[in-house]
Amino acid sequence: METKTGDPLIKLGRLEKYLNLARANSLWPLTFGLACCAIEMMSAGMARFDMDRFGAGVFRPSPRQCDLMIVAGTISKKMGPAVIRLYEQMAAPKWVIAMGNCAISGGPFYYPGQYAIIPGADLIIPVDVYIPGCPPRPEALLEGILQVEEKITKRGRLRKFRDVKG
Amino acid sequence: MLKDKLKKALAPLDLAQVADGDYAKTGYHLEVAARPEQMPAVAQAMLSQGCFLESLTAVDLRESFTLVYHFANFHELCRTVVHASLAKGAEAPTISQIYPGADWYEREVYDLFGIRFAGHPNLKRILLPEDADFHPLLKDFAAEAAND
Amino acid sequence: MIELGIEEKTYTLNLGPQHPSTHGVLRVLLEMEGEYITKAEPVIGYGHRGHEHMAENRNYHQFLPNMARVDYLHALAYNQGYCMAVEKLLGITVPERAEYLRVILSEFNRISSHLVWIGAYLLDLGAFTPILYCFDDRENLLDLLDRITGSRLTYCFYRFGGVPLDLDDEFIAGARAFIKRLRTRFKDYNNLVTKNVIFINRTKGVGLISQEQCLKYGLTGPMVRGSGIPYDIRKSEPYSAYPAFDFEIPIGDKGDIMDRYLVRLREMEQSLRIIEQALDKLPNGPIMAEKVPKRVKPAEGEVYQAVETARGEFGCYIVSQGDVKPYRIKLRVPSFGNLSILPELAVDTLVADLVAILGSVDVVIPEIDR
Repeated sequence: METKTGDPLIKLGRLEKYLNLARANSLWPLTFGLACCAIEMMSAGMARFDMDRFGAGVFRPSPRQCDLMIVAGTISKKMGPAVIRLYEQMAAPKWVIAMGNCAISGGPFYYPGQYAIIPGADLIIPVDVYIPGCPPRPEALLEGILQVEEKITKRGRLRKFRDVKG
Repeated sequence: MLKDKLKKALAPLDLAQVADGDYAKTGYHLEVAARPEQMPAVAQAMLSQGCFLESLTAVDLRESFTLVYHFANFHELCRTVVHASLAKGAEAPTISQIYPGADWYEREVYDLFGIRFAGHPNLKRILLPEDADFHPLLKDFAAEAAND
Repeated sequence: MIELGIEEKTYTLNLGPQHPSTHGVLRVLLEMEGEYITKAEPVIGYGHRGHEHMAENRNYHQFLPNMARVDYLHALAYNQGYCMAVEKLLGITVPERAEYLRVILSEFNRISSHLVWIGAYLLDLGAFTPILYCFDDRENLLDLLDRITGSRLTYCFYRFGGVPLDLDDEFIAGARAFIKRLRTRFKDYNNLVTKNVIFINRTKGVGLISQEQCLKYGLTGPMVRGSGIPYDIRKSEPYSAYPAFDFEIPIGDKGDIMDRYLVRLREMEQSLRIIEQALDKLPNGPIMAEKVPKRVKPAEGEVYQAVETARGEFGCYIVSQGDVKPYRIKLRVPSFGNLSILPELAVDTLVADLVAILGSVDVVIPEIDR
């Protein structure tokens, strides 16, 4: 799979398929709750919505041990350099989820005359999946994580069984 | 009654106005108007009666500022507001040596309005990045942001 | 070993804006001598979103959703404070049934905020089980609130003059079932947390706040109630429907972390009492005042309205100059004053104690930064 900076140095061929499967099923998110969406992210990791069953429940506080950054909340101008630094400290391959309206486009705080926020995480770091909502329900965060898994493995994982009819 | 004790404590300070507030309409029991230079004495009087500083803020009235201090008491209900009118560009004395909690409130007022407090131990920005060069809650700030 | 010219110097440690306890984005600059802290300076502003500037650019109705984002854990109390302030400016009286509904929903929200605090605080201290219990209880609670208000976290439910929707029988039945269940769960919390030897050792005698410090720093909420001062705006300056209910204010005696924890735990029980009484005495009637103007244009004047939130006293100060947009809104948030005592409490403590003290202050950073 391509990294964000170009082709990988070592081409592993068919092994990549299985490595991608392993990466997708054990995403380690970074605890990066900035504002209200952080509480929904915590709820998604707790007993009812349980991110652990997708392998993504191991929240690490250090960016060097993570491969998924969930930007949950508004990025203020003062926080912007810290976000970029954390993103750069993560080791490739890495993915970013922009959770909530504030991380997508500034959310309810975007209006002419706004001086304090960066309207959107994708202005400073590359984002893979956007989850709308203010705040999005924990189920939406789980769907976002499954979308990242699809992006990594490039297969629709059991989508025909997940589509709910009726 | 706490209100009478406060009136008695504030009487020797020669303030512009110490009047009863209309609680049902404004939420204040006592409304006081003072000059900014008298604020440390007012704060000392309020502390001696056991009141705590609830909030310290400012309002930009285009030709001047008004500093607004809110006081309340833990044991008896008596909300006091002190309005102090400040000319543009003037400095106000700090009350952080009497109420250490006022330290951060004064930094916030400096950050958002540009009002300096003389004698403050650490007057730097608190909410905006330290190298910001604007004061967002001034009424003529909106015009600059529109040009952004 | 001969130590040549090694002087004891302090070194700076940065407890950065991104750290594991999800209190938000707070940075604390620590100067340490070995393991002991000599100076701690909180740096805030990483969550500044400009609420007060937005208030001057929005009319009164458009500013309603902002209030939930200031403190998202007890959003309904902030809704209530702002609505009451504007109602005071307009001179509207809220009908009695609406007041009861507001109290019921706010008290439920207070319980959910305290549950988040207990869970997250124990997570800071290193225990992983209590947060699972607390969030499980909270999910049952959020199901109830979701039925009526439509949101789980950032509610925007109160309107000027009342509430827009009424309770139904399923909500009332679910509320009574929840109250019964939570009362049995308190036994679990006591066994799991309150009697836990590690928790007791980490919190007893740590982070003492004297009554004089409460006065000088302007602390409010469980911080002062833990130090023995019975200051609760629901009792000392009753608003809304609180005068009709019979409840106590739990207070501590020493002012250490254990006292503040017990105050919050007991407050949940008192909130359950209030909700029970409100459900029993719920009056019939309209839920919205009659003459609410569609264009809110209050007369010139200013108003200050205080309500008791889970963290302390929230004060909404509105200056109006007769326009559809407020001239100035100042949100006096409890965490701003509560956090300013941290530099004084942190001197000569260990870093582990600092984390415990910081957690016990119960800060929500977007509220401080507004």
